[in-house]
Amino acid sequence: MNIEQNLQKAEQLLTVWNKEATHPEANRLDVSISAGNLRPAVTALHNAHWGYLSAITGLDLGPASGEMEALYHFCNGAAITTLRIRLPRTHDASLPTIEDIIPPATFFERELHEMLGFKIKGAKSSDRLFIPDDWPEDVYPLRSDFSVEQAKPVEGRHANELPDEGVVGGNTFVVPIGPQHPALKEPGHFEFTVDGEIVTAARMRLGYAHRGIEKAAESRNWIQNLYLFERICGICSHTHSLAYSLGVEQLAKVEVTARAQAIRELVAGLERIHSHLLWLGVAAHEAGFDTLFMYSWRDRETVMNLLEQITGNRVNYSANVLGGVKCDIGLEQATAVKDGLNYLETRIRHYLEVVTTDTMFLNRTRGVGTISYVEAEEFGLLGPTARASGLVRDVRVEAPYGAYKHFPISAVTETNGDLEARCVVRLNELLVSCFAIRTILDNLPEGPLTVKMPRKIPAGETISRVEAPRGELFYYIKSSGGENPARVHIRTPSLCNWVSVLEKAVGRQLADAPMLIAGMDPCFSCNDRMITTVDQNGSRQSWSWKELRAYGIEYYKK
Amino acid sequence: MNINNDPLWVTVAKKVRTWARLNSICAVHFNSGSCNGCDIEILATLTPRYDVERFGIKLEGSPRHADVLIVTGPVTRQARERLLRTYEQMPEPKFVISVGSCSISGGVFKGCYNVGGAVDEVVPVDVFIPGCPPRPEAIVDGIIQLLTHLKEGSPRPSQINQPIEEIPA
Repeated sequence: MNIEQNLQKAEQLLTVWNKEATHPEANRLDVSISAGNLRPAVTALHNAHWGYLSAITGLDLGPASGEMEALYHFCNGAAITTLRIRLPRTHDASLPTIEDIIPPATFFERELHEMLGFKIKGAKSSDRLFIPDDWPEDVYPLRSDFSVEQAKPVEGRHANELPDEGVVGGNTFVVPIGPQHPALKEPGHFEFTVDGEIVTAARMRLGYAHRGIEKAAESRNWIQNLYLFERICGICSHTHSLAYSLGVEQLAKVEVTARAQAIRELVAGLERIHSHLLWLGVAAHEAGFDTLFMYSWRDRETVMNLLEQITGNRVNYSANVLGGVKCDIGLEQATAVKDGLNYLETRIRHYLEVVTTDTMFLNRTRGVGTISYVEAEEFGLLGPTARASGLVRDVRVEAPYGAYKHFPISAVTETNGDLEARCVVRLNELLVSCFAIRTILDNLPEGPLTVKMPRKIPAGETISRVEAPRGELFYYIKSSGGENPARVHIRTPSLCNWVSVLEKAVGRQLADAPMLIAGMDPCFSCNDRMITTVDQNGSRQSWSWKELRAYGIEYYKK
Repeated sequence: MNINNDPLWVTVAKKVRTWARLNSICAVHFNSGSCNGCDIEILATLTPRYDVERFGIKLEGSPRHADVLIVTGPVTRQARERLLRTYEQMPEPKFVISVGSCSISGGVFKGCYNVGGAVDEVVPVDVFIPGCPPRPEAIVDGIIQLLTHLKEGSPRPSQINQPIEEIPA
């Protein structure tokens, strides 16, 4: 089905509840419904398998209008249907929960509640997910009249009051993991309830790296934001700035030259190689296979060199500017990239052999954390985690943007859905990326690198989706015609993939937890220094993450 | 302290201790809300290309076994208490290296509602490594500066700083 047919179908499905439907862009349908009709409308889309829930955006229209909006974005290929619900801007603006229909919505709803103060009726958990525990009640950072003074810590509370499920009985223990960790990356907090060896419940708390970027974006101008968003994540910085640039260019109705688009895809391809090799190393480290960790990181330096040679930076490349790219590819760079790719390809083929034949590694990956196609769809997984289960969720294929229209890539899938399949998918993707980069280098279009961008972006709202190394990255950008964006909402792929860890850890050995967490390549990484097991007498035994990891390795030695 | 007044065995013991410390630094890494950029560069310094292990430096999982705390990122509100707690858990003598522009000043995130500011407002810092993110060479250089400092035996910058506040229970 093409985009129009898809959108027509969505409109038909939603006719009963539809108050007003518009087509803000060629690939988008915007349907206003009332809060009471949300559940039936979502059920209708869900039952008809019309795409998946990609994000829920909250908008504060300001005290003058006295209203707030919640936008439920469903994506189906390139077609996007937005359910728009307008509510009064009061304390009892409430929405029914849809987490029982669509499980990943639980994180989106918690975010909506914390950031804008929508009450979610019927939600199972109302724990804080991002903002600190000493944050005052009824202060919502993304409300337009929020000021930093309002966010003073509440007396007598701590910023992170880790939920203590001390009530344990029999052989049940609670194992908290988080929020600090030795190897790398960002902090998160997990609690695994274990009965003997088997995990019986899992929960998590994020927000240790929550900086308030969406709010900060509203007070900076369009160009400053490019560099701010690049620093959301140092690993996939190019995709963040790419998604933002694409969105702003859509709003300004500026067409970027073919050469600039090709260079953007090329840098994105190199970034994917660096990110997946990084992941391979981390996953190998968690499995106790440090040799592979060191080798993959050694080879990763090749691609870091290439990125540095092209953009001038190893990390946070700033290759994008609004309206194009800042760096060109000359003959020298092209040769260097090709040489680098030749080397990397042989290495990647070698790693592919290692992860599918090494018995010790297979013990930790084969059949572990298996997610079926149906589950992957139900959990709303994205990126390589979904593709390992045979679910094609790849924006580059489903809704090609930029240069992917001219240099298409093929989606890599596997069917087993276990950790081994996720390794294989990621490594095969690297080969696809290498091929794509070569094609671009051989057919690099001529033309200028940038086109002129207006300083003020015309009013409007747009959605841009980009395939980051970890999955679909979703940007919603709203402009009111000024020098600053009115609202930027970002949904990163990791948020959708957490469900896979939480659901899949249950019923498995505790020893598998580190691998499961690493298996989805979390961007808000979550390993820890202190892991405390609480036994029924209330005495605490402290484990370091290292010890837990060693325990996992030891367990599988047998 | 005047070394000359010490008995011989104390002087020798001190020399041995310094020598041992210089050659077996255990570092613990704390991410206080960073974007991962610095963190992957820190990790890169441990891997074969840059290989800080040749200086005897090893990344340690537990702060209780660590000599050096490497902090990245602007200190977010949730991470603040954790950073203090991690610092408190480390045995004396302990040193802090602050990596990246964010950890030095808040960087691009300065003024965000959930960001407290620089690392040295929370724990005393010995070495600052600027950059967004600093290159692995810069990180190696920072570590070497700390080692040189220890070798000379001069008082650490962090000792001159104010004592840190009480950690919450």
